[in-house]
Amino acid sequence: MTMNPPDLITILIVGGIGLVAIGAVGMAVSRHLLRLVLALALAEAGVNLLLVLAGYRWDAVAPILTGAAVTRPMVDPVPQALVLTAIVIGVGVQALAVALMIRVREAYGTLDIRELKTRVEQDICGAAGIAPPESANAPGGSQPYPVPVTTSRESA
Amino acid sequence: MHKLASLLFAMGLAALLIGLATQLPLGMTPMGVGQAILERAPGETGSANIVTSVVLAYRGIDTLGELAILFAAATVAGLVLAPSIHAESQARTKPRDDAGLVLRAGSDLLFPLLLAVGFYIVLHGHLTPGGGFQGGVVLAAAFFVSFLARPARQPSHVGVVLIEALAGAAFIGIGLAALLGGGAFLQPLLDQGTLGQLVSAGSLPLLYLAVGLKVGAELSGLLAHLAE
Amino acid sequence: MNALALPVVLPLLAAFLVRPASLVSSGLARWLGPLVLLLCGAMLVDIALLADGQPVSANIGGFAPPLGIVFYADSMALLFAIAVPLFALLLWPREGMREGGDRVSALMLLLVGSGTGMALSGDLFNLYVFYELLAVASFGLVAASGTARAWAATVRYLLISGFGSVLALIGVALIYTQTGTLNLAQLSEFAPERLANPLGLAAFACLLIGFGVKAELFPVNAWVPEVYATAPKRVSALLAGVVSKLAILVVLRLILLVFDLPEARQLLLVLGLIGLVSGELAAWRARDLPRMLAFSSIGQLGLLFMAMSIPGELGLIAALAVALHHLLMKPALFLLAERWSGGLENLAGAGRKAPLAAGLFTLFALSLLGVPPLPGFWAKLVLLLGLGQQDAVLAQAAIFGVLLMAVVEAHYLFRLVGLLYAKTAHDATPHHRGDLAVASLLGLVLLASMPLLPTLAEGLGWMAHQASDVAAYRAAILDSTIPGVAP
Repeated sequence: MTMNPPDLITILIVGGIGLVAIGAVGMAVSRHLLRLVLALALAEAGVNLLLVLAGYRWDAVAPILTGAAVTRPMVDPVPQALVLTAIVIGVGVQALAVALMIRVREAYGTLDIRELKTRVEQDICGAAGIAPPESANAPGGSQPYPVPVTTSRESA
Repeated sequence: MHKLASLLFAMGLAALLIGLATQLPLGMTPMGVGQAILERAPGETGSANIVTSVVLAYRGIDTLGELAILFAAATVAGLVLAPSIHAESQARTKPRDDAGLVLRAGSDLLFPLLLAVGFYIVLHGHLTPGGGFQGGVVLAAAFFVSFLARPARQPSHVGVVLIEALAGAAFIGIGLAALLGGGAFLQPLLDQGTLGQLVSAGSLPLLYLAVGLKVGAELSGLLAHLAE
Repeated sequence: MNALALPVVLPLLAAFLVRPASLVSSGLARWLGPLVLLLCGAMLVDIALLADGQPVSANIGGFAPPLGIVFYADSMALLFAIAVPLFALLLWPREGMREGGDRVSALMLLLVGSGTGMALSGDLFNLYVFYELLAVASFGLVAASGTARAWAATVRYLLISGFGSVLALIGVALIYTQTGTLNLAQLSEFAPERLANPLGLAAFACLLIGFGVKAELFPVNAWVPEVYATAPKRVSALLAGVVSKLAILVVLRLILLVFDLPEARQLLLVLGLIGLVSGELAAWRARDLPRMLAFSSIGQLGLLFMAMSIPGELGLIAALAVALHHLLMKPALFLLAERWSGGLENLAGAGRKAPLAAGLFTLFALSLLGVPPLPGFWAKLVLLLGLGQQDAVLAQAAIFGVLLMAVVEAHYLFRLVGLLYAKTAHDATPHHRGDLAVASLLGLVLLASMPLLPTLAEGLGWMAHQASDVAAYRAAILDSTIPGVAP
């Protein structure tokens, strides 16, 4: 497609998508909870940028009437309202994530997701009274289903 | 292995999106709804800032949902961070010292300024860029700056809860008043006044005031909880 | 009918006012929630009776769509809208510290308000906002159990859900750039020309995965087992039963109104099949009851997605049947799992100690499996018939998958039932009376639906017919098109 106006908007779009991609990659490879939350924040920023760009128009001004005569077209106000909402939602969720992280760190002493996974699994199994899985490759344990109760309970 | 898969997924996602984006008619979007709103908003709502009229009038219930989400997040944070019977949290509630002179003096200066700026932004939401959410954050920052300087003096929890709740209820109340008056929920009320004046746009500034107070109170409470 | 906004707004208002109410009187705070829910349920039933089978709509703010947001209530929407406060009342959290109790009340009210909003809304972004509210409320309810493992599970849920919402917003942005509107009715008008291209399909995929987090769609269902295991079981019941159906309702509306494309349906079928297989196999290997139920839930919702992939009214009937059956059954199973949260061995001999609970469990297990003449059988039958009517290889593979997974289900369910009625007894704590009462109520409803199946089938058929009448949807909402908003 011929890019009539230029590259400004292309740069912005690629930037927005880039942010989302960085956020996604960050979420995929990070091991630390805080980095995951920050990557999510980046991705959300990227999407908000993309949304605002959805309302962009060439050579247009902000949709605010100042009493002067309106000669130039105005940008689409709807995506701006959408992004307002989306930003606030993102802030709320991030604040919540931080609060939870504080508690998790306090309880488990670590914010590494792999360690947390094993610890939480142990916790759940402990609460349920069953032996935790020996390794991630055999989450069912060596005996995947319960032994008939006629014999004494041997640990799996 | 799992990381590799996620990495590939993310790369694929990026490639897909960039491929899509080059096809998007950005800059020349069919502005069906947007154009109609640009034409009708000043007449229908009396607000000079058209984005405000979208946020409060055309999509008022989205804003209500957004308020509720912020409220929910603050509530959950309060729930999660509620002081438990752990010994550790008891050890943490030792009295905190005030900060140094520079910070204290600075925060004393900033506090009224931030309040003024915050209220200005909130009240002029229908005239200039800004509005309840932006102003509310500035208001919360005012309280947080003073809290940083004097950690011992926290905003009163009861006050925060009351303002939060009553402001939120006021927003819904204004909307319900419209409903009870025979119109639809959240229909703009009151006289529209002249475009561009502070007192114009009917009930919209009132709605934004409620929003600003609510957000300010909420975030202050949230920050106070996090600091504990 | 402007009163349609009230069942959504009043719970939100009550949620704001719960905590100050507790300053006035703690009794008021405790009963405010259930009373408001009762009121909203009554209002919805009243609306349903007044509407007399015709769809009703309400323009929020008095602005006609597509400029404003519209709430639309046909019989399908009303069904799910009524289910939200109803189940919230049934599954209202019991205990709790005084300070925490108010916040939990507020969160439940927010869940109900947003859930009702999701069922009734006719605007894409409004649906997104209510979906996020539902998400945050459910985070809170899960984390309310106060245990460290619940917090960790909530963080995982939050992260996956957050990424899902990023994708959903991308979908919204894509749709908006193509069509310039967010109103579902107007989108259904524009869709054939503007969204039936790869861009539209990508938008659908983004929206599907975004909204699919709550619907336990593969691949965004990694959060399910831990969350359902660590949350209070009533909350798990609410999430698995009601919340997932609301997310599915959104996807259903999208498929019916906007994305009536074969590729979209194929995507649903594939993801549903993978979800079914992975869920049931994981349930087979589960060693404690809550997670077994969680995996089984993933599997059942996979079935539901497969049902939605069937085009035409038959697909809708199948989807509604599976959804309603799951809605009745999963909360009851989770309630029974409240006291049986231990490992599966601990359930041995529970049939003796808690005969009612064991009997109910067996009943639900049989219906889940699909043993005639229980309702589960009929739901699966309609699904298989729908799949069988299609010629695609994928559909045939899907039928094979369903039957194979039914065998797997039978294996682990019968094993469980056998364990319940085994000879040696294990010390099991008795069930809470309230839980048992609600589970029995749901069981009764299940049994009562059996003789009423013909009428139910007719009702579902009519509901499906009404819901798939896209032209009527458009007419009801866009009856006075705004001049200047030309397609």
